[in-house]
Amino acid sequence: MAINIVVLIKQIVDIDQLKTDPNSGEPLIQNIPLRIENLSKNSIEAAVQLKEKNGGKVTGIIFGTEKANSAMKEAYAMGVDEGFIITGYKGNNPAYTASIISNKIKELGNVDCVILGNQSADSYTGLLPGLLSTELNMNLLGNAVSISEEGGRFKIKRVLDEKDEIISAEKPCVISVTQEINQPRLPPVLQIMAAGRKPINASAAGAGNFETPKIVSNIAPKSDRKRQLFEDMDKGVAEVAKAIRGEMK
Amino acid sequence: MKFLIFSEDGSNICGIATKLRDNGEVYGVTIEGEESKCLQYGLKEVYALKGRPMGDNCFKALNKIDLTNFDRIFISSSPLGRDIAGMIASSIRSIVITEAFDFHLEGENIRTKRFFFGGKTILEEESSAKVITVQPGSFEPEKVDGNTPVTMADLEVSSITLDQEVEKERSGTDIESAPILVSIGRGIGKKEAIDQIMPLVEAVHGELSGSRPVCLDYKWLTEERQVGLSGKKVKPRVYIALGISGQIQHIAGMRGSKTVIAVNKDKDAPIFQECDYGIVGDLFQVVPKLVSALKQ
Ligand SMILES: Cc1cc2nc3c(=O)[nH]c(=O)nc-3n(C[C@H](O)[C@H](O)[C@H](O)COP(=O)(O)OP(=O)(O)OC[C@H]3O[C@@H](n4cnc5c(N)ncnc54)[C@H](O)[C@@H]3O)c2cc1C
Repeated sequence: MAINIVVLIKQIVDIDQLKTDPNSGEPLIQNIPLRIENLSKNSIEAAVQLKEKNGGKVTGIIFGTEKANSAMKEAYAMGVDEGFIITGYKGNNPAYTASIISNKIKELGNVDCVILGNQSADSYTGLLPGLLSTELNMNLLGNAVSISEEGGRFKIKRVLDEKDEIISAEKPCVISVTQEINQPRLPPVLQIMAAGRKPINASAAGAGNFETPKIVSNIAPKSDRKRQLFEDMDKGVAEVAKAIRGEMK
Repeated sequence: MKFLIFSEDGSNICGIATKLRDNGEVYGVTIEGEESKCLQYGLKEVYALKGRPMGDNCFKALNKIDLTNFDRIFISSSPLGRDIAGMIASSIRSIVITEAFDFHLEGENIRTKRFFFGGKTILEEESSAKVITVQPGSFEPEKVDGNTPVTMADLEVSSITLDQEVEKERSGTDIESAPILVSIGRGIGKKEAIDQIMPLVEAVHGELSGSRPVCLDYKWLTEERQVGLSGKKVKPRVYIALGISGQIQHIAGMRGSKTVIAVNKDKDAPIFQECDYGIVGDLFQVVPKLVSALKQ
């Protein structure tokens, strides 16, 4: 069955490059490049693989800012067919994000599944799958490490603490994926160039009346580590053995 | 105030209940068979849900208990817990705070702490949030006298079917209570190399733990041994990181360790910023030397 797939893509500041001020602990976000969030890449890859196997279409949605074009182009190069950028993202507010995105998905109509990361690498909230499944009235298949489709049912494997499960549900479904599901492809240059010419649909998010928490502080935790580094192995071993023995008493 | 705590693992209810019980009436909801774990922690009542728990039917069962009766709902964070929290968030229309590892009630509000930017910062917020997901192990459980009564409730049949279930081998270890952890990363190269690490684990009377790739991608260790943002949060007296680069998501799980020792062949590995003692070198040379030094 050809599948009508929506994939949710988040653009974040490159947290690997993010440094915090050594004195105040404040994150230094200025001039940090943006990139596609880790699990969004896994989600795109999963969506594109599902399309390659079954036929259909992958629609990408980014709720972000004016700077999201580059992320959508990368998504195109990976195999996303059509992209919608909704601007007006103001930060981590899952309820608001869910309402904006679910409105868009309802507008698209006829969606068989919505694929997204189970917890994004920056805010690590993990609420969106549950929120969307309720707002869209779709079955939720959470934490997939593989996805397949058969006769209008989606089936996923998921890895839980105490067991692995294969679960399935009638379409439409919200499917959240974990980073173990795949290795996102690196698109070839030609595809990237072609992606640059492809149009992107853009619109602005409607205002939502959603309360947000008051931020008391957002700073790096203090690290009082000694940071004694030994390049001389024997000296290091002697010192470390002493430290361990001290703690074993 | 009235509080509700949900966890499919009864033991995760105890710490949160201990934290809340002086501030009001605390109710617990868990899955049948788990309720016995949380009956000595001052809860007013525990509901045990009968049936196969999935997000949708647990959410319906919680709604039957009537969520509007409670001032705050705490959910122990897990794949199931987060799915349910999202569903509740959509129906209650309140601020939701996720993955809190600490909180304080402040009058009508709640102050919460959680990691942000992948673990690089701690975000402290104050809000009127009615739904809070809490990282397991955040609060120490303390027993009180008396026994909580249990009410059974049925779970409806979920629209998600379970087609197959593979139980995992579990070693039954509890890395969270080990005084010394020897933790391995991708740098050990292959599963067989664990044999060369075990003498150190034995010499320090410790337990073996690992980074996410080691536990999830390669399965050299079982998942219950994973340390990090998405794994266990550990606070041993000594944490020995072997061949772990020290990505922030890993650090978030071992930051509470008293003394951190790191062995890595890359002098610039970020783990050296988060350790007390670091040895730059090949772990397969360092480990035997360390074992013999400890035996002296
Ligand atoms: C949302 C999210 C959640 C995550 N949660 C977790 C989590 O809970 N826990 C976790 O660990 N990770 C987590 N990660 C993954 C994390 O970002 C890193 O990818 C992971 O921690 C890296 O594991 P590692 O250090 O074992 O491997 P690598 O980063 O590959 O590091 C291997 C290290 O071994 C060293 N090395 C190699 N050979 C030797 C040798 N012979 N002797 C000495 N040193 C050697 C190398 O120099 C290198 O520093 C998460 C990521 C995301 C996006």
